[in-house]
Amino acid sequence: MDLTRRSFVKSIGLAFGTSMAYGLATQSSTLAFADDLDWRLVNTEEFTNICCYCSGGCGTIVSVQDNELINLEGDSDHPINQGGLCAKGASMFQLRNVITEETREVIHNPNRKTHPLVRRPGASEWEQLSWDQAILEIARHVKETRDATFVEQDENGVTVNRTEAIASLGGSQQNCEEDYLILKTMRSLGVVALDNQARV
Amino acid sequence: MADYAIFWDASKCTGCKGCQSACKCWNLLPSPLGKNVNEPTGSYQSPLDLNGNTRLLMTFQENEVSDDKKWGVEWSIGRRSCMHCVNPACATVCPSGALSVDEDTGFVRVQDDKCIGCQYCSGVCPFDVPRYYAGGSRINKCTACLDRVKNGGAKPVNGGTGTGNPRYSVPACVHTCSPAALDFGTREDMLAKAYARVQFLQNKPVNPCSTASVYGDVQLEGTHVIMVLKYAPETYGLPADPKVGILPTLTSWMKPLAAFVGVATIAGLGLSYITGLGYKRDTLHFDPDTEETIDMDTGEVVCVGDGHGHKIRAAADAASDAAVAAVATVADKAQEGEE
Amino acid sequence: MTGHWCDFKNADVIISCGSNNVENHPESARWCHTAVDNGATWIVVDPRFTRTAAVADIYCPMRSGTDITFWGGMINYIIEHDLWQHEYVLNYTNATYLINPDYNFDVTTGLFSGWDEEHKKYVTTTWGYQTEETVAPNTATGGAFAYTLGEGVPEFTPPSKLVPKKDATLSDPLCSFNVFKEHYSRYDLDTVCNVCGMDRETLELVYATYASSGAPEKSGAILYALGQTQHHYGSQNTRIMSLVQLLLGNVGVAGGGVNALRGEPNVQGATDMAMLVYDFPGYLKWPTVASHSTLREWLEHETYSDGYYVNKPKFFISALKEWFGDNATADNDYGYDWLPKIGSRDYTTISTFELIDEGIIKGYFAWGMNPMNSTPNAKFARQAMSKLDWLVSVDWVETATAAFWKAPDLDPAQIQTEVYHLPAALIYEKSGTIANSGRWLQWRYKALDPADEALPDYEICDRLWKQITSLYTDEGGACPEPILNVKWDYHIDGQIDPRAVAMALNGYKKQPGDDGDWDSRELLTTFANLQANGTTACAIWIYSGFYGNSEARYDPSQQNVGKRSLEDKGGLGLYQEWAYAWPVNRRVLYNRASADMEGKPWNPARKVVEWTGEKWDNNDVPDFVAASTAADGTSVPVPPNNKAFMMTWEQNARFVCSTMKDMPLPEHYEPLESPTDNILNGRQNSPCIMFADHPSVQKGDRSEFPIAATTYSVVEHWQTGAQTRGCPVLVEAMPDQFIEMSVELAEEKGIANGDKVRVWNNRGDVQLTAFVTRRLRPLQVNGEVCHLVGMIHHWDWTGDYSTGDTVNDLSPNVGDPNSYIPEYKAFLVNVEKI
Repeated sequence: MDLTRRSFVKSIGLAFGTSMAYGLATQSSTLAFADDLDWRLVNTEEFTNICCYCSGGCGTIVSVQDNELINLEGDSDHPINQGGLCAKGASMFQLRNVITEETREVIHNPNRKTHPLVRRPGASEWEQLSWDQAILEIARHVKETRDATFVEQDENGVTVNRTEAIASLGGSQQNCEEDYLILKTMRSLGVVALDNQARV
Repeated sequence: MADYAIFWDASKCTGCKGCQSACKCWNLLPSPLGKNVNEPTGSYQSPLDLNGNTRLLMTFQENEVSDDKKWGVEWSIGRRSCMHCVNPACATVCPSGALSVDEDTGFVRVQDDKCIGCQYCSGVCPFDVPRYYAGGSRINKCTACLDRVKNGGAKPVNGGTGTGNPRYSVPACVHTCSPAALDFGTREDMLAKAYARVQFLQNKPVNPCSTASVYGDVQLEGTHVIMVLKYAPETYGLPADPKVGILPTLTSWMKPLAAFVGVATIAGLGLSYITGLGYKRDTLHFDPDTEETIDMDTGEVVCVGDGHGHKIRAAADAASDAAVAAVATVADKAQEGEE
Repeated sequence: MTGHWCDFKNADVIISCGSNNVENHPESARWCHTAVDNGATWIVVDPRFTRTAAVADIYCPMRSGTDITFWGGMINYIIEHDLWQHEYVLNYTNATYLINPDYNFDVTTGLFSGWDEEHKKYVTTTWGYQTEETVAPNTATGGAFAYTLGEGVPEFTPPSKLVPKKDATLSDPLCSFNVFKEHYSRYDLDTVCNVCGMDRETLELVYATYASSGAPEKSGAILYALGQTQHHYGSQNTRIMSLVQLLLGNVGVAGGGVNALRGEPNVQGATDMAMLVYDFPGYLKWPTVASHSTLREWLEHETYSDGYYVNKPKFFISALKEWFGDNATADNDYGYDWLPKIGSRDYTTISTFELIDEGIIKGYFAWGMNPMNSTPNAKFARQAMSKLDWLVSVDWVETATAAFWKAPDLDPAQIQTEVYHLPAALIYEKSGTIANSGRWLQWRYKALDPADEALPDYEICDRLWKQITSLYTDEGGACPEPILNVKWDYHIDGQIDPRAVAMALNGYKKQPGDDGDWDSRELLTTFANLQANGTTACAIWIYSGFYGNSEARYDPSQQNVGKRSLEDKGGLGLYQEWAYAWPVNRRVLYNRASADMEGKPWNPARKVVEWTGEKWDNNDVPDFVAASTAADGTSVPVPPNNKAFMMTWEQNARFVCSTMKDMPLPEHYEPLESPTDNILNGRQNSPCIMFADHPSVQKGDRSEFPIAATTYSVVEHWQTGAQTRGCPVLVEAMPDQFIEMSVELAEEKGIANGDKVRVWNNRGDVQLTAFVTRRLRPLQVNGEVCHLVGMIHHWDWTGDYSTGDTVNDLSPNVGDPNSYIPEYKAFLVNVEKI
């Protein structure tokens, strides 16, 4: 999907010449004594996005170089927030990257869990597994639970085509398109216990 | 010289800490990564004070008031950071050129690679702002995001490269301020805005604020942070009548004598480290005629005076072995203090 | 929200009640400040002096859970002082409609007419109107129901309209307005102060200030959030605010509205998209056995006799057509029977834990949701969770839900649940549409690839769906038809793609055999084009037009959702060319009500719509019939009339109404656990309170737990804290969970600021840091001192940087009968120093 390149707003800072490999390692650090007036957003591309916290819909600008996050801040062209972001919004950079205390290096946030994991029955730790394996195991669980509990008609003969045994919660964190896919998946399985964060 | 200022309006600030957060994220400043290592403060204010990794902090103070119609409480939500004095004592005493007045804007520029950890700035700051990292060896304080101010603007301030994108032309804290309590512009404009706001607050038909005032105009011959306060300055952690510490006075006094009493200068500086401040490192030389500070190892001019006595740099060529040894101890102490 | 964020600047009075908006919706501060700069007054009504109170003009305290009393008193004050907007009320509402003569409210029992003690619910007939005449549905050419006779439209009988009796003179005591007025006459100032705990002088100042927005040219905006909704009568709290706003003529105008500041980034979108038990996308109803056992029943039960919802079948059939594609035909009722039908049990969040506990729910998906922290009575919930066979958590981090088996009070060795954590992409690591609280649909552009193996939720869902369908294709299984007949064609160049889904949400003309063909379909530009005969497909009718540019179908920036112009016609901050507000890019709902009966704006400086004498001249998309199509196909302007609320069948707003389960008019009841008795009527709790009988609730008594407690959020953290406790700068800025208490209570309990304290009730027991503050003070309630404490709730046992106890162990798992929202905001605890 080439969505991003096609739709993105604009890039800046090309005055500094050719692109260079610019990963996490070179993103820092103060201890390396970059000149205090040097411009951080050299050779970056900017993408507009929307904040992931309250429902304000504040616009953000995400600056990226070589597929790594360089900066995230409020979109000053956005009519609602005009560049503003609260403490949470202004720290969305840290959802992906954090800064070490000792050397002020930028690293991926170790608190994020970026691999599929499983906890086996009775176990006290996670195990890593492949995506294919995780999806297969979950699909198998879904099918077994559904097949064992599916009701085509209720006691009065009304076609109900449902299973009460699977619940699906969430949706307020996803985009609308994702919600439709989740809704369609779950309802098509016969799920009636479907809810989201609207009440909590 | 153009004169710029950060404007902050206590009557609009909601204490959301967007600025505190944006400051760290833009400037890549760390926060503790250990588990449950931040101490509860018993307040919305956290950390309790500025530190080697924190340049900007929202402060919270509750004041009991007699007016019961106001629920008996005023909540002073304050902004604690470098005030960027018009005549910054810190830059005056800084022997290494780490702190200097930026000619384009008037803000106190920070070049922490030049910092020698002497911590003189800490001793003279009227607002107790300078803090240190890397074992107490390097200054951490607000830079006014001069990297943004100089490079971000559509019309770059002199010396910047410019990106043609005005969205980055103000400090990160100002840019992120949701309630628009922060602003950035010429000091003149910000002062006008502040006085107009005080007028507005004092004369509101509902909930007028008779104690509203401007801070940063007259205090210390002015600062490059202009504040609109609702309540008394002290409730925001600001001295009503800020005073510069002893060192710059001493330095100013020494200035006319510097040409022939270099020893006295050194003695004065020696005094300062004995009183708890650190001093170490490279051999620098101050030329009173040109007001230049020269690195004796490289021959480079590390600091240039402005002809008005604002950038006097003390010669450090007498940094004795004893002083270096003393510094190590002080640095250790500073580190302990921080942790 | 009926308006949107920037619209707050147009208000003359703002009241934040049940919302600490500068803290939890920080961007709202900018717009409230702008209003105040322009001369507005900003009121905060809240149990404690909040960050919002610190910047507002007037602060009024209130005991948590007494909102209906506060607003009921305001209604009484407005009517007593004749401050209501007569022309608005008499024409745009049901004020003049006559209510059923058997309507009654019995103060001694606290019950409205129609209570069925055996089934513990109301039969709401007596809350309805007297009928003047019955008008049959018009199926003739040009009639509202002519379309129902077309080929391919499922057979059903459209409803007849029961035209209500009216009395324009308001002399009949059964006029809706008179019933309403009578109901709130008991809510006098002293009673309100007794129940809510504020002083009378402050209360009168608040009432007088807010009621000033009843002048026709003035606007008042109510900002509310979970502080009003999270009660077992939360829906009635929101309804009574609507009544106040109608009375003052503040609905539909710029700077007015009943503004729900919603709590999650896309909770608006998730609600639109029907991620809720009883909903179908676009605020239609999910089929239930009780009312919708067949398609015909659905259509007959849901279609309105008048107003815009005469078109509901068009929306519903188009959605079925998008769901099943070519497999949906007129002959098979467009696949209706394949959809699951809900029975008599409830399945909302609170109930899911009862169902798990009973062994009925065995498998559980949590998509970016963390109920092990956020659900009320969380301790009961996590014990129940141990009975699951399997659990899947799709999230950025290890949430308490994914790691429930690590909870300090559980032993993983005893838990047989197989648990999966699937790593999700961050919001800037994927693309798609998000709806904000003002109904603005905005496009998020993917900025970079997800870290490591993380994937967007859409891709996770796609992989899962393909694997499940493959298992059913290969192996068969229980009733595979509802799965295998689904149309799942959301791929572009072989990859799952949110742009394809966006086109499905927007809607398109459906040609036989074109499933999967995104290159050539004609996208719809408005839901006015939808048909009930299978020739259009549209997943969610209200979004139609947001992604309707067929010329650049793969480029979101060329769609309405991607618009980025700051043009602001009329200068009201409507920003008509920025993004897309559903429905049809309308920025202020019910905007017909912004002008008088002649179509002149109440306030010309805040013109939203205007009748010039010949045509409508508007700054917003009209929310009324502004033009009709003549026989020759030309558009003819429709002169102003009183149909200002076209989404109701009456096309007027309602004072007395019969559509809620628990009350025709909001009435005060006490929270399940209350520090006092209900003095307004003879019943302590709402008779319709949900789940209170469940043994896990373990209701506490005020003799043992005398302190009223509430919960709330801080700006530095968010919801269950799973994300924000993962950001070091936020942990540093707010490192610990606190309980706020007054100086007086702290003295009584020997607690100093910063002390660790134990907070407990029958359900839970947690340790928190005490913040002793002057911003909370004891209230005088019904002649006694009432202590109130407040806790934040963002912590649990997970995360690398900060952990703590789970405050929702304390909150009760009871809820509202309309929305099933839990009562997080008012319950009882005790406190002691550790």
